[in-house]
Amino acid sequence: MAKKKGIIGNGLCHVYLILLSVIAVFPLIWVLLSSIKTNGELTANPTSFLPKNPTFSNFVHVIEDLVFARNIANSIVIALCTTIIAIVISCMAAYGIVRFFPKLGNIMSKALVTTYLFPPILLAIPYSLVMAKLGLTNTRVGLVIVYLSFSVPYAVWMLVGFFKTVPIGIEEAARVDGANKVQTFVKIVIPLVMPGIVATAIYTFINAWNEFLYALILINSTDMMTVSVKLRSLQGAEILNWGDMMAASTLVVVPSVIFFMLIQKKIASGMAEGAVK
Amino acid sequence: MKRKVKVDYARWIFVLPAMIIVGALLIYPIFSSLYYSMTTKHLIRPMYDFVGLANYQDVLTDPDFFKAFFHSIIWTIASLAGQIFIGFTAALCVNRVRHLKGVYRTLMIIPWAFPSIVIALSWKWILNGVSGFIPNMLVQLGICNELPQFLSDSSIVFLTLVMINIWFGAPMIMINVLSALQTIPQDQYEAAQIDGASKGQQFLHITFPHIKVVVGLLVVLRTIWIFNNFDIIYLLTGGGPADKTMTVPIYAYNMGWGTKMLGKSSAVTILLLMFLLLVCFIYFAIIAKWEKEEK
Amino acid sequence: MKKKLAMVLVGTMLMTSLLAGCGSKGEGTNNGGNDGELSGEITFWHSFTQGPRLESIQATADKFMEEHPDVKINIETFSWADFYTKWTTGLASGNVPDMSTALPGHVVEMMDAGAIVPLDDLIDDIGRDKFSEKALSEGEQDEACYSIPLYSHAQVMWYRKDLLSAAGLEVPVTWEEFAKAAKALTKDGVYGCSFPCGSGDMMATRFLNYYVSSAGESLLTEDLQANITSDAAIDGINFWVDIYKNCSPKDSVNYVTLDQANLYYQGKTAFDFNSGFQISGVATNSPNLVDQIDCAPLPKIHEDDPDYGAETSNIPMVVWQNSEHPEICKAFMKELYEPETYTEFLMATPVGMLPSITGISDTEEYQANETVQKYAHAEEVITKTMDLGTAIGFEHGPSVQAGLLTSQSVIENMFQRILVNGEDVEKAAQEAEDELNELFSTIQ
Repeated sequence: MAKKKGIIGNGLCHVYLILLSVIAVFPLIWVLLSSIKTNGELTANPTSFLPKNPTFSNFVHVIEDLVFARNIANSIVIALCTTIIAIVISCMAAYGIVRFFPKLGNIMSKALVTTYLFPPILLAIPYSLVMAKLGLTNTRVGLVIVYLSFSVPYAVWMLVGFFKTVPIGIEEAARVDGANKVQTFVKIVIPLVMPGIVATAIYTFINAWNEFLYALILINSTDMMTVSVKLRSLQGAEILNWGDMMAASTLVVVPSVIFFMLIQKKIASGMAEGAVK
Repeated sequence: MKRKVKVDYARWIFVLPAMIIVGALLIYPIFSSLYYSMTTKHLIRPMYDFVGLANYQDVLTDPDFFKAFFHSIIWTIASLAGQIFIGFTAALCVNRVRHLKGVYRTLMIIPWAFPSIVIALSWKWILNGVSGFIPNMLVQLGICNELPQFLSDSSIVFLTLVMINIWFGAPMIMINVLSALQTIPQDQYEAAQIDGASKGQQFLHITFPHIKVVVGLLVVLRTIWIFNNFDIIYLLTGGGPADKTMTVPIYAYNMGWGTKMLGKSSAVTILLLMFLLLVCFIYFAIIAKWEKEEK
Repeated sequence: MKKKLAMVLVGTMLMTSLLAGCGSKGEGTNNGGNDGELSGEITFWHSFTQGPRLESIQATADKFMEEHPDVKINIETFSWADFYTKWTTGLASGNVPDMSTALPGHVVEMMDAGAIVPLDDLIDDIGRDKFSEKALSEGEQDEACYSIPLYSHAQVMWYRKDLLSAAGLEVPVTWEEFAKAAKALTKDGVYGCSFPCGSGDMMATRFLNYYVSSAGESLLTEDLQANITSDAAIDGINFWVDIYKNCSPKDSVNYVTLDQANLYYQGKTAFDFNSGFQISGVATNSPNLVDQIDCAPLPKIHEDDPDYGAETSNIPMVVWQNSEHPEICKAFMKELYEPETYTEFLMATPVGMLPSITGISDTEEYQANETVQKYAHAEEVITKTMDLGTAIGFEHGPSVQAGLLTSQSVIENMFQRILVNGEDVEKAAQEAEDELNELFSTIQ
C-alpha cells in the first residue's frame, strides 16, 4: 500500500516537474525559434511553431550591421574585470573578518549586507556626477568601479560563510610549521574554500553581466555599450524588428544558459554551505 | 610588543580594500543623496537651495507616492510568495523523484540565466497583443474570445508582471533549497520512520528546521532584490498603463529623470532605504534567533 | 607566497589601467589658430542608429577628417527614447557632446539651461534665405538662432488603397468619415487605426494635437498655459477614445512611436498618422504592400474647413556650450549641407527626410531617386502640409512649456487613466491641465 502511494506520489512529482520545466524553457525556445524566422512569418503566423524557411538573416544583420559582437566583448570584459577585482578584495576581507575580527566581524558582515539594501536608483545620481568629475563616464573602467559597489558586499557576505567552514586547527598547524598569516591564507585557506570562491565568482559575474541601470546612465557611446543597453537601444531603434531583437537576445542568453548549466551544482552547494554553517 | 604591532598591521591589510570600496562607493553617495534630498537640486540647473525637510513633506503628502509604495509592497510579497512556493515544491519534488533529477534541475534553472533585458524582450514578444504566441494560442484554443492583452489590460497587467518575476526567481530558490535538502542526514528520516512519524511530521520536525536558515537568508536577499528591482518593470511596462504597475523605484526614476527634480527624487530613495533598513532589521532579528536555537 | 599574492594584485591593477587606457579620451589639442587650419577632437551624438543614414553621416565625417587631418570626429549614436535621459544627466555631469542632433521640444530646454550656443554665423554662411523662417524660429531666443534644421517632415494621414477600395470607401476628408472608415476596416485581423498612448513617448499628445489643430486651436493658450479642457480638446479626446475602443488593438495603450508604426508596416492597420518614414518601413517589412500605400492631408472637422498642418518636425542640430571647438562643429555642419552630401543623406530615407533648405528638391539628382518618383504624390502632400505646421505647442512661438507638453507624458497618462481606469473624460482632462500648469509653474 505504502509502496503504491509512493509510486503515485512519484508520478505526480514527475507531472509537476515536467509542467514547470516546460514553463521554464518555453521563452528560451520561443526566442530561438523566432530568431530564425523571417519578419513576415513572425507576424503572419504567430502560433506556428517551426519556421517554414529557417533563415540566419537576422543574425547576419545583428552581427554585421549592428556590430553586436563588440558589445558582447564589452560585457565580457566588464563582467570579468569586476569579478576578478571583487573576488580578490572580497576573499581578503572575508578571511580578515572571520579570522582577525571575530566579534567586530559579525557587525562588519551585517553592515556589508546592509549596503546591499541601497537602492541602485539612489546611487545612480551620485555615481553619474562623480564619474563625470573623474572623467570616467562612457568608459569601461568607470562601469567596473561602479559594479564593485554591489559585487564586493555581496561577495564578502557569501565568502564569510565559506571561510567559517575552515577549521582553525589546520591553520594553527600551518602556523606551527612557520607559515605567516599571508602564506597561511594563500596556501592553506584559499584551496580549502575554492569551491565557494568559484561559486561566488560566478554569482558576481552574472550580476555584472545582467546589470542594466548603471550601464544605461553611464554609457552613451554605442561602442562602449554593454549587451543589455545595446539590446534596449534596438527597441528604440528606427525600425522595430522582432526578428533582430530575438537574434540579439539569443546571442546574449545562450552562452549564459550554457554557462549556468555547467556550473549549476557549484552555485547550489556553495550558497547552501555558506549560509548554513 | 614589536611583534604584536606587526600582527595588527597585517590584519587590517586584509579588510582595508573592501572598506575603501564600501566607503567610497556606498557611504559617500548615501550621504550626498541625503544632502541633496534636503535641497531643490535640479538635474540640469546649476543653482539650488537648501530647503530642509520640505521635499519629504511633499513626498509624504503625495497620494501617488503611497500608491507606488503600496504597489511595491504587493509586488514584493506576491512575487516572493510565488517564488518560494514554486521553488520549494519543485525542490521537494526533485529531491523525491529517482529519475531525471539532473534533467529537471538543468531545465528549470534556465530562467535564472536571463538578463533582465532579455526577460523583458522575450516576454513582451510572447505576450504581444497582436502577434504574441500566448494570446493567439489562447484564442485558437477557444479559451479567450479576443486576444488577451497581458501587458495593457489593467486587471491582469500586475499579475502578469508578478508571474514573470516568479518565473525568473523561483529557480534560484529551488536550487538553494535543493542543496540544503541534500545536507540533511538520511538516518534522521529512517529513525523517524521507525518511530512511525508521518511525512508531514517528518517535514515539520526534520526537513524544515534543517533548511530554515538557508531559506531565511534567501528571503532576505530576495526581498531586497525584488523591492529594489527597477529593470523588469521598467522594461516591461514602464510603470503603466495608468500607473497600474508604478513601484517606488520607478516613481523615483520618473521624478529624477522625468521632471528632473533630483532633490525630491533623492528624498524618495532615502525613504525607500529607510523602509528597507527596517525590514532587514526585523529579518535579521528572526534569523539570529533561529541560529541561536540551532546551537 | 607573498610574491604570488602581489602578482595577483599587480595583475589586477594592470588590467584596470589597461581598461582605463581603452576608455579614456584622447587629449583635446588646442585650437591654436595657426593659419586657420582646424585642429582638435569633437564628439557628435546623433540618433541615426543604423542603416544608410548612419553610413552617410560617417562617410561625411571621414571625408571631413581627410580634408582636415588634425581633426578627429567621434560619432556616438543614441536612440531617441534614451536621448532625453542622456543629455539631461549628461548636462548635470558635464558629459555632453560638442554637437548633436536634437528634437525641437528639447532645444528650448537646452536654450533655457544655457547649454547650447547661437549658430547665426553658420546659418548666414549657408544662406539664411534658404531656410524656412518658421523652421529657424523654432530655435530662436532673443534674436539669436540656436539650432539649425537638418531635415524636415510633417505628419499626414496614411491609408491603404487596397483595403479602402475593397470596402468601397473613399479617402476620408473629415474626422467623421475617418472614424466610419476605420471602424468598417477593423476586421480580419486588421485594425482600422491604432491609437497609441504609451508613457515615455508623445504619441497621444501628437494625435490629440491633430484634432485640436483641425479646429484651429492649440494645446497651449496664448499666455502659455495648458489648454486641454477647451471644447476642441474634449471633442478630440472623445474622438480618440472612440477610435481606441472600436478600431485599435488594446495593447496600444502601451505603444510608443515604433510599436505604432510597426503595425502599419506589417499591414495590420488600415490607417496611420506619420511622415514619409512610413514608406521605408513598409518597404522593409511588407514589400508586397508598397503599391498599396499613400497619404492624404489630415482629416478636418468640416469638409469645407481650410487646409491645415498640425505637426511639422524640423529635426535640428545644435552645438553645445561645453564644446572647446565650436568652429570645427560649424565647419563640419556646413559640410553636411553641401548639395551633393546633403542629397545623399536625404536619399537614405527618400520622402521620409525632406530638405530643410531650398534648391535641393528640384535638382536632377534628387528627382532621380526611384522612391521620390514613385511617391511623388505623397511628397507633394507632405511638403504642402509641412509649410502649414509647427512643432507641437509652438503655435505661439517656441517655449519651454511646449517642451514639457510633450516630454512629460502627461497627456499620455491622461488617456491611460481614461482608457484603463474608465475615468471621466472631463475630469481627467482637468487633472491633466492642472498637472501641466503645475509643471509649468516650476520653471519660472
